[in-house]
Amino acid sequence: MGETEIQIYRHSVPVSDIIRFCIIAALAIFCTLITAISFSRSVAFLNYQLFFIPILYAAYFYPRKGLYVACLCGVVFQAVGYYYSYPDSVAMVSVTAEAILFVLIAVIIAYFIERIRAGEVRYRTVFEHSQLGIILFDQVDFTIKQSNDKFNDMLHYTPQDILARSFFSIFFTPQDQTRFLERIKKGETIENFETRLMTKERDGCWVNLSWSRIDEKTVSCTVININARKLAEKMNNDNMMKYRQLTEHSPTSILIIQDELIRYVNPSFAVFSGYDKAEISGKDLFGLIDSRDRDSFTRFSQSWSRSIPKSDHGEFRFITKTGETRVGALSTTPIMHVGKPAMLINIVDTSEQQRLEDKILLDNERRRGIIMTVAHELRTPLQPILGYINLLVSDTEGYGIQNDTKKILERCLVSVDRERQIINQMLELSVLESGKVQLRCSMFSLASLVKKVIDTGGYLTKAEVTLDIGDPVIVSADKDRLFGILDSLLSNAVNYSKPPRKIAIYYRSGVGDNQHHISVRDNGIGIQESAFTSIFEPFQLADAAMLSRKYDRLGLSLSIAKKIVQMHGGDITVESVVNAGSTFTIHLPKEVPNET
Amino acid sequence: MKHKIMLVEDDQPILEMMDILLRRIGYEPVLVPDVLEALERVRKDPPALVLLDIMMTPINGWEFLEKLRGEYDMKDLPVLLFTALPSAEERLAQMKDQNLGILQKPVTIAELRAGIERFLSK
Repeated sequence: MGETEIQIYRHSVPVSDIIRFCIIAALAIFCTLITAISFSRSVAFLNYQLFFIPILYAAYFYPRKGLYVACLCGVVFQAVGYYYSYPDSVAMVSVTAEAILFVLIAVIIAYFIERIRAGEVRYRTVFEHSQLGIILFDQVDFTIKQSNDKFNDMLHYTPQDILARSFFSIFFTPQDQTRFLERIKKGETIENFETRLMTKERDGCWVNLSWSRIDEKTVSCTVININARKLAEKMNNDNMMKYRQLTEHSPTSILIIQDELIRYVNPSFAVFSGYDKAEISGKDLFGLIDSRDRDSFTRFSQSWSRSIPKSDHGEFRFITKTGETRVGALSTTPIMHVGKPAMLINIVDTSEQQRLEDKILLDNERRRGIIMTVAHELRTPLQPILGYINLLVSDTEGYGIQNDTKKILERCLVSVDRERQIINQMLELSVLESGKVQLRCSMFSLASLVKKVIDTGGYLTKAEVTLDIGDPVIVSADKDRLFGILDSLLSNAVNYSKPPRKIAIYYRSGVGDNQHHISVRDNGIGIQESAFTSIFEPFQLADAAMLSRKYDRLGLSLSIAKKIVQMHGGDITVESVVNAGSTFTIHLPKEVPNET
Repeated sequence: MKHKIMLVEDDQPILEMMDILLRRIGYEPVLVPDVLEALERVRKDPPALVLLDIMMTPINGWEFLEKLRGEYDMKDLPVLLFTALPSAEERLAQMKDQNLGILQKPVTIAELRAGIERFLSK
């Protein structure tokens, strides 16, 4: 209250106090005069009663100071009364009694006014400092009579904003308004009514309202902000929904196992196992495991009960309700379920995959069988041809064979031999592809192996061969197979080039390089870059039609070579320029894994 | 004296060719196209070596060999498997029979001679 104050000596006193003091003083002087006149004229009805006016006035505004006024008035009244009634002792006693009455009246008034004031302060304190929002509104038209700061802050209104509105208008949606109307019609006292109010920014704010009527027209309402809780609840619900949808619609089976018993299964598991939720809940998963896998499953599941279980993977056969066997790949994750540790298990049905793998294995086996039979059937008729030609060539004189006929027969022999070789390569590739081949690795000098290949194949007579391999180079590999690979690379180098043939065999590897690089370079017809990969595929030739006619050979040796080098953990690559030559390089790891 | 070599083989063209081939390299061939008959004759008149085809009926070369080594107890008689069957080599390696060898059809004269000479010295 910005009241004007006046400086009196060192005190600043509000103007209203000075005015009241003057009124009280004037009234007291006026009463004293009237009382003196009434005593002097013996007017009984105008005697002490007038003094109640300044006393009541003073006591109303200043309960404590009113006492002083009453005492002062009592003394003045007594002095005047004694002056006029002396020596009438009865009258003097009566004057004293009336003076005491002044003080008593002032005390009583001061007491009640103090009490009323204290109650008001308490109420104000509660209203203004409450942690709850409090709002008073009209029961009929919902105009807002009063609201505390807490309420205003909750919805970001200023006191002026809020007093200009009706409570009804700050509900967030018409539905919220309707619900409020229904509730307020039902009773005068409502607790925990959850609804949404509108903030100044027109956002919704969840609140909990409790109200009661405090007089005929006014309703007092406490407002608790529950927006954060409601939003958290909503998010929680959303998360729950998401989690539910995820598990319920997951194509993989999901289980929760706690204390070795199944606590939860999703619909996919019901499909996988044939048992529905109710049938399987509370059972032990062990009961569904195929007897052949039970031991390994027991070992697998032992870790679940450990104090710190770990995520794990395993594959087991399950027996479904209908007695069918299904293969499931399990992965486990430790989780908390209803406040206790549990295992979350995902099961992916790999039965179909297993079936396909088995089928591929069977198909491969069958294909290998066919190749074996075909090889047998192709080789058998070659025997008489090879035998007879051998016979004729071995004794030309005895059979009366001319020199040029002998040459023809020898060409036949070359062809038969080639066919034999092709069949053998086909078989070798088939065996290599079956994965049943074991390498027999040993350590040996690369240079001496290469020299042996050159000597055995008689390559020095077919081409100018240069060799650049240091003697100390020791490799670890299957010696016989590496011999075969080098032989076929050299044989290709000869077959796919024309004289003057130049073949270079060289070795490269550096310190820190974990591979040997053995290259065979020729000056032959070369290979187009587009065929760099396909020449290593079985029954592929770079520009097949052209090459096969030109050299009449099947490209199986490269496929075999590549397979074998890959079994060593290495690879074969090619670089080539058409009509300039090709370089085949064997990349062989310096340390060959023994188990291959 | 020429070594007697029994050829158990049901393929007629091969039989005829091998007859000439074996004679040419200095052996006396005994040709038996019927495997059951071969079982009879191998016991009555044991040859120096048996050249044995595998794919035959009613019993195959393996069963013949089993009878020879088991029931007939002819463990020292050299047998050369004479076959086009690719898997024969693998199986042979597992048998660890000192008097058992293999010739993969088709064979050249040189291969045939070397194969036989492994067991029979001239």
